[in-house]
Amino acid sequence: MTKLVLTAELVEYMESGVSLLVGSRDAALLPASARGFGVAVDAPSCTATVFLATAGTEVTLSNLRDNGQLALTLSRPLDHRSLQVKGHVLSIGETDEQGRRIQDRYFSLFCEGLVFSGHQEKLLRRIRYYPSHAVRFQIESMFDQTPGPGAGRMALVAP
Amino acid sequence: MIALADLQRCFAGVLPSIITTCSRSGVPNVTNLSQIFRVDERRIALSCQFFNKTKQNVAENPYANVEVIDPLTLQMYDLDLRFDHSQTSGPLFEKMATRVQAIASHTGMLGVFKLLSADVYEVLAIREVEGLIGPPLSDRDSDSEEAPMSLRTELRALSVVTERLRHATDLDGLLSTLLDALRDELSFEHTMLLLPDETGKKLVSLASRGYGESGIGAEVQIGDGLIGTVAQTQQTIRITNVSASLNYGRAIGRTAQGHGAHFPAAEIPLPGLPDAQSQLAIPLLAHGRLAGVLAVESKNPLGFEEWHETFLDVIGHQVAIAIENMMLRAEAEEAQAVTRSALAPGPTKTMRVLKLCFYRKDDCVFVDDEYLIRNLPGRILWKILRSFVDDSRAEFSNRELRLDPTLGLPPIKDNLESRLILLRKRLEQKCPELRLVPKCRGQFRLETSCNLELIEKDSS
Repeated sequence: MTKLVLTAELVEYMESGVSLLVGSRDAALLPASARGFGVAVDAPSCTATVFLATAGTEVTLSNLRDNGQLALTLSRPLDHRSLQVKGHVLSIGETDEQGRRIQDRYFSLFCEGLVFSGHQEKLLRRIRYYPSHAVRFQIESMFDQTPGPGAGRMALVAP
Repeated sequence: MIALADLQRCFAGVLPSIITTCSRSGVPNVTNLSQIFRVDERRIALSCQFFNKTKQNVAENPYANVEVIDPLTLQMYDLDLRFDHSQTSGPLFEKMATRVQAIASHTGMLGVFKLLSADVYEVLAIREVEGLIGPPLSDRDSDSEEAPMSLRTELRALSVVTERLRHATDLDGLLSTLLDALRDELSFEHTMLLLPDETGKKLVSLASRGYGESGIGAEVQIGDGLIGTVAQTQQTIRITNVSASLNYGRAIGRTAQGHGAHFPAAEIPLPGLPDAQSQLAIPLLAHGRLAGVLAVESKNPLGFEEWHETFLDVIGHQVAIAIENMMLRAEAEEAQAVTRSALAPGPTKTMRVLKLCFYRKDDCVFVDDEYLIRNLPGRILWKILRSFVDDSRAEFSNRELRLDPTLGLPPIKDNLESRLILLRKRLEQKCPELRLVPKCRGQFRLETSCNLELIEKDSS
């Protein structure tokens, strides 16, 4: 099996306040969607932790506990550069203080990007991204998801 | 219970929606969605521009989940879906394809970025995502939700606009009345009316509001950009959150170029507001023929809703019929009119000299070295000026222009009326020393307070 390479540039992109879309499914293969608020990547182990607000993610958390199948799409609103990673959940737990700091930093960058795109900061500040759950997972595959003819292409390095 | 109609704002594309599907082997896939259309009370259609994993997954396992966001409140909704069928033709497909084509044209990506199918899904359940969005931080933060316009208000506005249009007596008056009425009754501040030129390959702006003087005479090739696409497809297009839509198209452009695609031209700039966030353009159709395009812009990403589109479609139909009737009536009345040959006043030493130059190669007229007008209106102006100077004629009829083979008007649907409106307005803006003053139906008089010096050259 070819090893995935998470380059420094790719990790920087993934942690830069991009939109985080989390996909899961239940035992009957019914899909569920949720939005993540914060991600931390560990390149050497090819693992990542995505933070899911506790409110509104009950189905997704139940699915991830049940079968561990996770898809995460990272997308930058300004230019639609997008990447999807897929893998299996390693652990799920309530977010600790260090995770909270990652979430706070993420949310500032996320709002900055959206405000730059014309969205109202006062509205964005109403999002209750904490309390949350930290979902750590093994990244097993990566796909270039930027809209265009190459969308869906498997990537071994940064797209 | 939440109805699909309640989620209309969520489908405007201001904030991207997401879709999750799952393969037969149980691997989920999540991605952004570019367009959602409400088909009816229990079905939505999603745009498919590329064959992708989502498409592959629903072929194996028809269930999908979509999360949408209300751009005014950030309230999210989960929709459980079951794939029903794909459409590659028909009204729904055409409507969605036209919008995609307009964005593709704006970003120079015609042919690369196009709709492959409109994928129709049955909506099995709609749930509000609870607890994620807190209450407004202050009372002032809750004022972003506007009260929707009621049916009664819409009908009253429709009645008033129709009544005002009824009083227009000529084409120029009709176009001006329409834009004034839309501004006064519907607060459409930035509007533009374009009519086809004599070649049928271009549209020319003849009336505008909210762009200063710059809008008049602007040309759009049929098929180019939002307005050109509307003219070509004869379909209404409404684009909300313009900047996001264009960014999406540009993202495709960059990746397509990476895959070896070549694009013939640079991006076509949007006519009108540089910071427009919503655009709506409707074709003016009379008996299936294109009489013009009405384009409306707003700086508000949610400036135009579904009812605006329906409303303007109704108005547009009336205006198209009125334009056609006015042109036909003008031709009939001109045929009966008697041309009077009033003499032009001779040159005097005290009047200033106005230097006009005609470039034969591109039928272009310059006044005191500044561009004035070209093509058919340019040829008409030059014919009038030559007669004025060479034969001392000051009065002219539309009929003699129509019959003059040197002007090259098409035998039917010559749009002479609209060419004369354009010429008159360009003179008002760029050369007020020359005036085309209507005398009676189908006749006008050239008036000037200058001595005219006419020069002809082959090319500029």
